[in-house]
Amino acid sequence: MKFNKPIKVAISVLILIVLLLMPKWGSDRFINIFILIFLYMSMGQMWNLLAGYAGLVSLGQQMFIGIGGYTVAVVCQSYNLPLWVGLIVAPFVCTLCALIISLPIFKMSGDFFTIGSWIVAEAMLLFFTNWSFVKYGFGFTISAGRVLTLTHRYIMALILGIGSVLVVYIALRTKFGLGIMAMRDNEGVSKVRGVKIYRTKLNCFLISAFITGLAGGAMHLFDGYIQPYAAFSIDWTVTMVFMVIIGGIGTIEGPILGAFIYVFLRQYLLNFPGVSMLIFGAIALIIILLAPKGIVGLLQDRTGFELFSVRRSIKAPKLPDKPESASQNT
Amino acid sequence: MAILSVSGLAISFGSNHVLKSVNFELNETEVLGVIGPNGAGKTVMLNILTGLLKPTAGSIVYMGADITGKSLYDRGRMGFGRTFQIPRPFEKLTAYENVMVGGIFGDGLSEKAAGSKASEILELIGLYPKAGVFAGKLGLLDRKRLEIGVALASNPKILLFDEVAGGLTESEVVEILNIVLKLKADGVSFIWIEHVLKTMLEGTDRVMCLAQGRDVVCGLPAEVLASKEVSEVYLGADEDE
Repeated sequence: MKFNKPIKVAISVLILIVLLLMPKWGSDRFINIFILIFLYMSMGQMWNLLAGYAGLVSLGQQMFIGIGGYTVAVVCQSYNLPLWVGLIVAPFVCTLCALIISLPIFKMSGDFFTIGSWIVAEAMLLFFTNWSFVKYGFGFTISAGRVLTLTHRYIMALILGIGSVLVVYIALRTKFGLGIMAMRDNEGVSKVRGVKIYRTKLNCFLISAFITGLAGGAMHLFDGYIQPYAAFSIDWTVTMVFMVIIGGIGTIEGPILGAFIYVFLRQYLLNFPGVSMLIFGAIALIIILLAPKGIVGLLQDRTGFELFSVRRSIKAPKLPDKPESASQNT
Repeated sequence: MAILSVSGLAISFGSNHVLKSVNFELNETEVLGVIGPNGAGKTVMLNILTGLLKPTAGSIVYMGADITGKSLYDRGRMGFGRTFQIPRPFEKLTAYENVMVGGIFGDGLSEKAAGSKASEILELIGLYPKAGVFAGKLGLLDRKRLEIGVALASNPKILLFDEVAGGLTESEVVEILNIVLKLKADGVSFIWIEHVLKTMLEGTDRVMCLAQGRDVVCGLPAEVLASKEVSEVYLGADEDE
């Protein structure tokens, strides 16, 4: 399944137009589902950047959801500033937090980083439940989001979802991205080849904090309510892990597919409240056993399918010193 | 003129003294072969030279400057390149991208410059037709070539080869030897660990034998390989003597 470039561009533009016009033809329920898909897509994409590319398996991404959400709540509710101010401030606050947190937890590697990130997130939860400024565990009502229509929300989610995909795609196309992919394939060797491991990982961590924080802010703005036990719940990260694992870790397409599967599945499983988590778990297990690299990983192995190619290829044609190219000229 | 001189190099892991005292000099555009039985510390020496391990004693002087304390990263930029005994390419990157990694991160090139350099290198090492193939799908000879290519892309002055010819057929070894000759003409010096005798006899200017953490003997390849010390190291000393 290899498309050439113009066809790919045409298909992408077509999909984008269909998505942009969805509020014109989709039902409210349908649009709400897509809002969730795009928000979860951005979160999954960022977890994938960390775990799939940078080798940082974080179980603490919920802290950026929480901090992003609380930043929006404090800016819009406590200080009564317009909602766009909240949405601009939130990702920067998260990035700053990530920078500070990186100092201790980047000293840990592998499993220790995973546990460390989780502990920081749990500590953050405890801190917020005991902080009078954010009304302890009672939480906030965020009324700024009430002015948003469904179309507004949809467009914001769309920008966030597509934007997160583009950020990862563009990052991987740069010099920095080649280092990320080399690091993904073999950290030890990439270090010998001159990739600056610490800085590369830190950049990934900061990017993921920025966008996850934005998604967390938007999510809570749309919900109109924030409460620490939900905002800092590990369920967020578990969801990201689920999407990325079943979609395909270390691929751009994986989290996109994962977000669709997760949200649709969740909508359907709402009818089975008691057993829904069991079913999620069973699905994750089956996919891990049958396709350890996820659905997209399986497809890539079988067919070489790549929707977003980050491959670099030799651009300048070689001088015609080879017999086959010489014969073509004549 | 010596580009690299190593004296009294030693390293211990706990009470295990892997290298006790290694001394040698490497001249410009020279190929120095390193032989020695398993466990003599050849790969460990290479790891110290590239900065992956820190020596417990001794000094490494490169182009007149003491670089014993320099990091892996600094040494890469100064002109140390290496290959691994077991080729370790970036498997989900193409051959071309693998070589680019060497140029961008090992030599600080821009993506464009690294790209054109990578195609030159692929041409040199004979991998140009397979530029777009995932490194994970390459065969052993191609992987070994790619190892050389990635190391070359960082514009090294000294290339450290860890058994590049091991596991290759006779004619494949010849191809590697040809690549070495070309690079030598371009001013690259080599330290080359190998078990394959043909490469030592035909490809190197001098051979050093390491045993039990020391440089036992060093000299012209044919002489070293025929020397009493080397046969003692490999076959054990004759008890009558």
